[in-house]
Parts: sequence; structure tokens; C-alpha cells
Amino acid sequence: MPKHIASGLKYLAAIELKKKGFNQQLIADELEIDRSTVSHYLNGRNLSWNSIDVAKTVTSMCPKDFLIMTQSLFKDTDKTRKIVSICKNNEFEAEVADSCIACGLCVDLCLMKAVSLNSLKAQIDSICCCGCLLCKEGCPTNSIKILEVKNDREYERG
Amino acid sequence: MIANTKEVKDKGFDIKRSAEEIRNLSFKDHVCIGCGICESTCPVEAIKVGNIGPIVRNEMDIPKLEIDEEKCVLCGMCSGICPVNALDFTIDNKSISDIDTYPKYIASAEIDDETCIHCQRCEVACPREAITIPRSLPERSKLVTGEIEVNEDTCIHCGICDEMCPTDAIDVNRIPGEESILINKDKCVYCLICKKSCPVNAIKAACRSCSYGEYDIDMSDAVTTGSSFIDDETCVKCGWCEEICPVDAAKVKKQFKGTLNIDQDKCTTCGTCIDVCPCDVLSFPESAGPATRVPNVGKEEQYCIHCGACERACPTDAIDVKITDVDYTPTKSKSWVDKFEALKNR
Repeated sequence: MPKHIASGLKYLAAIELKKKGFNQQLIADELEIDRSTVSHYLNGRNLSWNSIDVAKTVTSMCPKDFLIMTQSLFKDTDKTRKIVSICKNNEFEAEVADSCIACGLCVDLCLMKAVSLNSLKAQIDSICCCGCLLCKEGCPTNSIKILEVKNDREYERG
Repeated sequence: MIANTKEVKDKGFDIKRSAEEIRNLSFKDHVCIGCGICESTCPVEAIKVGNIGPIVRNEMDIPKLEIDEEKCVLCGMCSGICPVNALDFTIDNKSISDIDTYPKYIASAEIDDETCIHCQRCEVACPREAITIPRSLPERSKLVTGEIEVNEDTCIHCGICDEMCPTDAIDVNRIPGEESILINKDKCVYCLICKKSCPVNAIKAACRSCSYGEYDIDMSDAVTTGSSFIDDETCVKCGWCEEICPVDAAKVKKQFKGTLNIDQDKCTTCGTCIDVCPCDVLSFPESAGPATRVPNVGKEEQYCIHCGACERACPTDAIDVKITDVDYTPTKSKSWVDKFEALKNR
């Protein structure tokens, strides 16, 4: 089952990449899957629609759940990072306060490799940031603010 | 999940986090002076400094401080702010004292080898035994000149000269049948005691040092040579070496300026501060004579590094140490600057 959902996520990622103009070979390279599999995905074959539904649910969960769920499905940080960065629906901006002590916990916590230290202060790359807030939750001095600046999620807001 | 590991070594320990980079904090108990600066600086209250008074006085077998590895976030602030480098913080095995972005104290202790005369005054005075002055003395035989000779026919091998010789230069064998007398000219200083004490006038000796010393002796042979070594690990930059050096070869730059005040009325002369002070600043003054009064505890503030260890250890709050100036390299991080500046409000 988890495998099917993982495939569902890859399918969604393939569709996203297609929208961005990637050809089948590039998509295959990017997702580290066979080109024939990509072809199947894009032609709507070889995958249960139910898995894709579940995968869609996963991508539309809150960013932290989306990230952690993906990580537990793939058990591979590099693959997780790829899927999340392709399928994420929102954009974030981070603010780091002067109270940052440069302990680097955020750097270690960030699965997206969005955080680095610069002149004894955390610096968060908003392109990589998935908005999971793991860094903010782990920050010992409460110095991080993550702001959602764009939301493209498909579900209706209540 | 990310977790710290702790490895205890004797009374010291290492706390480590290995993820994107390897962060390691090493505590060296033998270097720690128990000032408590790390404790008040730690942003996550992970450090607990023990009661230094009893630990130092009773030579207790417990570390001077503990760090809760569950709380520690390995930011390295305690290491940066420790005035004696008892806490060493490394990132990927590089000490933050070698990483420019981290602020560090501007403090140093140096001995100029050109000026140093190797008298070892600093080595003896250093309260932390951080200084070693290895030296080689001139050869004694090159600093004296004279002549000495024994008339073996006259000598009765009584051994008086052997016993009298202040430099052990004479060796007399008194065993019947094996009698001999040997004079070691490398040791002889031509003091003529042997000649004067010989009961049979068998020794002829003359000292030329006064009359021909200028011609016979090369004064460059009289120079003591050597080198100097300050152990950066234990040196606390207290300034004893600079004060005591007779030729101004030692130079010390301290990281703090400040004041040290003792409320003599509150002092109960328990002596804890004297035992705790890493710089031998404090002492019980000697009485100047009958019917005179001396302070309970005396201070030589020129040696004080204003670390505050005595204030922290004093059981009656009789000591007040204030830091008025902190000299450290610039950093862009406001939180680190704030911590260094906060030392003035301890």
C-alpha cells in the first residue's frame, strides 16, 4: 500500500513536471524512474486511481504532514525533498530574528536543506522552504517566523 | 531524530551532534576556573556550575560543571565566552576560535625570547604553572682561569682536599696500595681551599681570574641561553609574569577591565576566595606588628582577571567583581554581541 501511494506521488510529480515543459526523458531523470514508467503515468495507465486520490490528499495536507508523510513513504530524504519541492502548493518567506544564536539546529532539522548559517545567523531559502515549520518548532530561541505568501491549494477553504 | 551524544572522559566530557556538520563541545575540567560565566551566558540554561569553593578546597572528585546534553543546542556560546578556554567548541573538527565569524576575546600572554634572560622568575611566579623556561647554563670551567697541580711524591693521600673541595673536583683514593689523587679541571674553580688545607703542601695552585680574567675569559661564554614556553591551555593572562619580569620581556593583554571590591566587614576570613582565585590575587595579609590592624583579606588587583570566581564562591557575599570593559573581535551577530556586553552587568 505505501508503495502505491509513493507511486501516486511520483505520478503527481510527473504531471507537475510535464506542466513545466519537461519531456519524458527529463521527467524520468528527475524522478529517477524508467522512461517507460513515465510514459505509462502520463497516459493514465499502470496506476490505480485510488492511489492517486490518496496521494492528492497527502499533497494537500498541511506542509509538515505532507513532508513527514512523504518521508515515511519513501524513507529517503533526497527523494522526499524532490517530491515535496515539485508538488508543494504554497510559497513561504522566512524571517530570522536577531536573537538567533547560530546553534544550527534548524540547519540539521530542515529536510529541504533550505537553511544555512551566514555570519552566525540562520538564513532560510524561500525557494526551498516547504513551510513545515520544523525549524521554527526546534528553534531554542524562538527566532524563526515562516510566513505563507502564496497558496495554490486546490481544496476549498472553509 | 537529531540527538546529542555525551562522552565522559575523567572529569571532562564531549557533547556532540552529528548531522549536516559535526558540532562538538569539549569541557576540560583542569582548565576551568569556576567563574560561572558560561552558566549565565547559556541561552538554553543547560549549564550548571558546581560549588567551586568546596570542590577546590577538598579536591573533590567531581567536575566543576555539568552540561545537560538534552538541553544543550551546541551553539558554542559558552566556548566563545569562557575567559580561559575550558570549553572548546568545534564545527567539523575546526575550533570556533579559528573561525572568523565567531567573536573571540582579544587577550594574550607573550615572552619575547630576544629580551628574556631566562631567570625563570615568571615560571616560579605563574599561579597556573603555565610557563616553562628551559635554560642551559654556561660551562663553569670557561668562567674561571688558573692552574692547579699535585706533587704525587709529596701527597700523603689523606683525603682532606677531597672532603674540603666545594665543587667536588678532587677524587682521592685512600686504599693502601691503590693510592691516587685526581683533579677534574672542568670542575675546579681555583678557590685554593685544597692548597690552603693540604697538611703537606702537595698542591700548587694559582687563580688567574683577577689578573688575567680579561684576557683568559671570553664573556660570551658566560651567557645563559634558553627559550620560553607558555601553555596557552592553562594560562589565564593574569599578568604575574609581566609584573615580575626584571627585563620587561613578558607582555600580557587582558580581555576584561574591571574592579574588585572586598567588604571587609562582611568577610569572615574563611579563605574560600583565596583558594578559588586562579590568579593568586587574594591573600591573608601579615600583621605589621602588635596593635596594628590589617584587612581580613588583602588583594593585589593588578593580577586580577575579573572573572568573578571569588565573588561566586564567597559564602557571605563580601566580594564584588565588576567587569567594565570587554575586548573582543567584532561579529555581525547581535545575540553574540549581547552576550559579551552582558558581562558588564553580571
